[in-house]
Amino acid sequence: MGETFTLYLRLLNLTLRGQMQYRASFILSLISTGLISLFEFGALLLVLIELETLAGWTIAELAVLYGLVEFSFGLMDNIFDGFDPRNFGQRVRLGTFDQMLLRPVPLITQIMGSRFELRRIGRIVIGFAVAAAGILVIPMQWTLWKVVLLPMMVIGMVCFFGGLFVFGSTVTFWTIESIEVMNILTYGGSYAMSHPVSIYPGWLRAFLTFIVPAIFLNYYPTLYLLDRPLPAGDWVAFLSPLVGIGVLWLAFRVFKIGIRYYQSTGS
Amino acid sequence: MIHVRNLSKHFRISTHSSGMAGTLRSLISRQYRTVKAVDNISFDINAGELVGYLGPNGAGKSTTLKMLTGLLVPTTGDISVNGHLPWKTRKRYVARIGAVFGQRTTLWWDLPVIDSLSLLQHIYRIPADTYQRNLAKFTKVLELSPFLDTPVRSLSLGQRMRADIAAALLHDPDILFLDEPTIGLDVVAKERIREFILQVNAERKTTVLLTTHDLTDVERLCDRVMIIDQGKLLFDGQLSQLRARFGGKRELVVDFAERYDSASVVGADLVSLENQRATYQFSRGETTASELIQRISSQYRIRDLEVREPDIETTIRRIYEERLLATE
Amino acid sequence: MSTFFAIVSRAFQRHLTYRAATIAGLLTNFFFGLVRGSIFVALIGSRGSLNGLDAQGVLTYAALGQAMIAYLSIFSWRELMDAVYTGEISTDLLRPYPLFTLWMGKDFGRAILNILTRGFVIMLVFEWVWDLYYPQSGGQWLAVGVSVLLSWLLSFAFRFLINLSAFWSPEASGFLRFFYTISWFFSGFLMPLRLFPPWVQTLAQFTPFPHMVNTVTEIYLGLLTGPALFQALLTQLAWALALSAAGALVMRAGVRRLVIQGG
Repeated sequence: MGETFTLYLRLLNLTLRGQMQYRASFILSLISTGLISLFEFGALLLVLIELETLAGWTIAELAVLYGLVEFSFGLMDNIFDGFDPRNFGQRVRLGTFDQMLLRPVPLITQIMGSRFELRRIGRIVIGFAVAAAGILVIPMQWTLWKVVLLPMMVIGMVCFFGGLFVFGSTVTFWTIESIEVMNILTYGGSYAMSHPVSIYPGWLRAFLTFIVPAIFLNYYPTLYLLDRPLPAGDWVAFLSPLVGIGVLWLAFRVFKIGIRYYQSTGS
Repeated sequence: MIHVRNLSKHFRISTHSSGMAGTLRSLISRQYRTVKAVDNISFDINAGELVGYLGPNGAGKSTTLKMLTGLLVPTTGDISVNGHLPWKTRKRYVARIGAVFGQRTTLWWDLPVIDSLSLLQHIYRIPADTYQRNLAKFTKVLELSPFLDTPVRSLSLGQRMRADIAAALLHDPDILFLDEPTIGLDVVAKERIREFILQVNAERKTTVLLTTHDLTDVERLCDRVMIIDQGKLLFDGQLSQLRARFGGKRELVVDFAERYDSASVVGADLVSLENQRATYQFSRGETTASELIQRISSQYRIRDLEVREPDIETTIRRIYEERLLATE
Repeated sequence: MSTFFAIVSRAFQRHLTYRAATIAGLLTNFFFGLVRGSIFVALIGSRGSLNGLDAQGVLTYAALGQAMIAYLSIFSWRELMDAVYTGEISTDLLRPYPLFTLWMGKDFGRAILNILTRGFVIMLVFEWVWDLYYPQSGGQWLAVGVSVLLSWLLSFAFRFLINLSAFWSPEASGFLRFFYTISWFFSGFLMPLRLFPPWVQTLAQFTPFPHMVNTVTEIYLGLLTGPALFQALLTQLAWALALSAAGALVMRAGVRRLVIQGG
């Protein structure tokens, strides 16, 4: 296990090299990814100067909700970049996936270590900053449970969306046509859940309960962090990592089946 | 070492007829036809052999190679390589083989060659002394030093092939699979690669299976040759046997120093005579090239000449047309 | 002029074959529009309206925003940069036709197609779920049409200008991304500018960006009428011309640099 992780770090090291070759461009890109998250929340913030609340949520509370999603999704986007269906699909089409099959090391490690866009860290940093600002401003009342819940929440979201990526990659073994729909689940889902679910129409709330279970991934946990009432008792807030890890585990199993399919039919 | 029995690989390809009616029909029910890329082939390769695997494009060479390297699962039949079922025990199997593909590299595109090799050391868990020894040896023999620090994307084709072969052998594999290793290379580069393969096979007893279009590759490297066409194994035996039985006619193209009205000669057929250029066909059994040249030059003044070997496509077509099937 | 028309129509046909209106892309637009619309409406909330924008107004704004993504190439456009980096720009430079106009023609062809396949279609899709606002008079429709045209020209000139950075740096993607990011905020794409505090709106007016999205939508929603309308259109025009002129000038400098350095 340790050896696999060392391999992952080695692959990552090689992937990162050369990314900062053009300093100015890199820094501008880094700033840009941060600015996107900042502007999105900033727009909300500026309007709320006048309006004060959104569906009963204060700016600080919204910052916590938004920031944690941005932080987690940004983290996922970097860690699972190798499994981004667009990247993986291309790899399969070009035949470089075959090369991975010829190396006596785990495939998943190779795929995860094959991509990591350092410039996207801007999103992770701003997400963290916005969430932290919200936590400080409220100020959030810390308890031991909340300290435990925060990383669990992040893990849950990272694993869930990572799992969606992996599912999408498995589909590319079969066809590259329908993977765009995945964007709705990943980018659309994460965008929607960075705002309070209560503002959405019924069908969208259903989407965010059953398809992209934002309710469990971040909404209930955030309610718990903000000491807001939870519908079914405090324990529902702690389901996030279970949902996330469950989806990721399933996704990897399906991926392994996908590899068998690829080996049976070739490219 | 490599045992293949009744191996087949079938692909289902969807067919659509052209035109509006065809498109509509295919929307309702997909029609398929089965392509037999590899059709019931069997062979054994012992440790240390250097075998050539020939055939025209689309014959099934790459498909066979993919099954042998574990990239593809056979439809029917048995494969055993080094005691492994290649696709099943992937990680353990792949650690003991090396593979080079002429069409694309196995190295990391943006990295200097040496970094790729260094990473491979860790991937294949090569002991430090073995790695250093092999690296030094390959660097010397394949003359890698000038471009060890160059990113793979900046290498010429010849340099890239040398780097790929070195990479494939770093971990002392038992078997080396080569898919068109000399394709696109100039004559000097080809020779260098061939020399290296011979050396490796002689010194380390590495089993080598090589697919190629280049008959000279075969002549230089392989004692044993297998020929595949349309998925079927047509020939499996010594190169000398192949040449003797199916060699076909060679050609001698002669540019004369002056115009001759006729240029016929004993032991060869004059196929064409145009503007001081004559083309003769002759077969190995009847005449050697040097005999023929002597005979011609004793009668006519030669300015330049060229010996052309029958290409693999012609030879194979001959084999197929004369329905001469493989021995096991 | 006929050459220009030929360039435009060829670009139009080329993009026609791209299946530009993929269902998945439309669905994505639809989803994001619905989410954004819900956020806007929730913001307005119990107040009913803010600074002239009511619920119907903000929903229409959200729909328009999604409809405009395609023809404005809001999210990214780096064709010119790529052409410089691959060297393909040299074929354009060898043609006896001004480079700026050539690229403008190509973009116009694409934009027309996008307006038809993504613009109108998306508005129709949103009409299905929401009760959208529509311009009330022929005059208003005309003003919208003019504004759309000007917004395209402005957007093209802006994209063209920043892509020219390729002549000065072997890797200018960061530069591009930065300016696109800024444009999303100040164009009103992320949030109607009207809802922002006055100082933000003033700040935005120092940039050309509001005239890509915000001005068009405000004209569409009838929020700008009479003299304000004409002023807005004139400002759009002024910015479009200014950026175009800048683009042409900078391009000349860039080409000279390219020729001197030998690509």
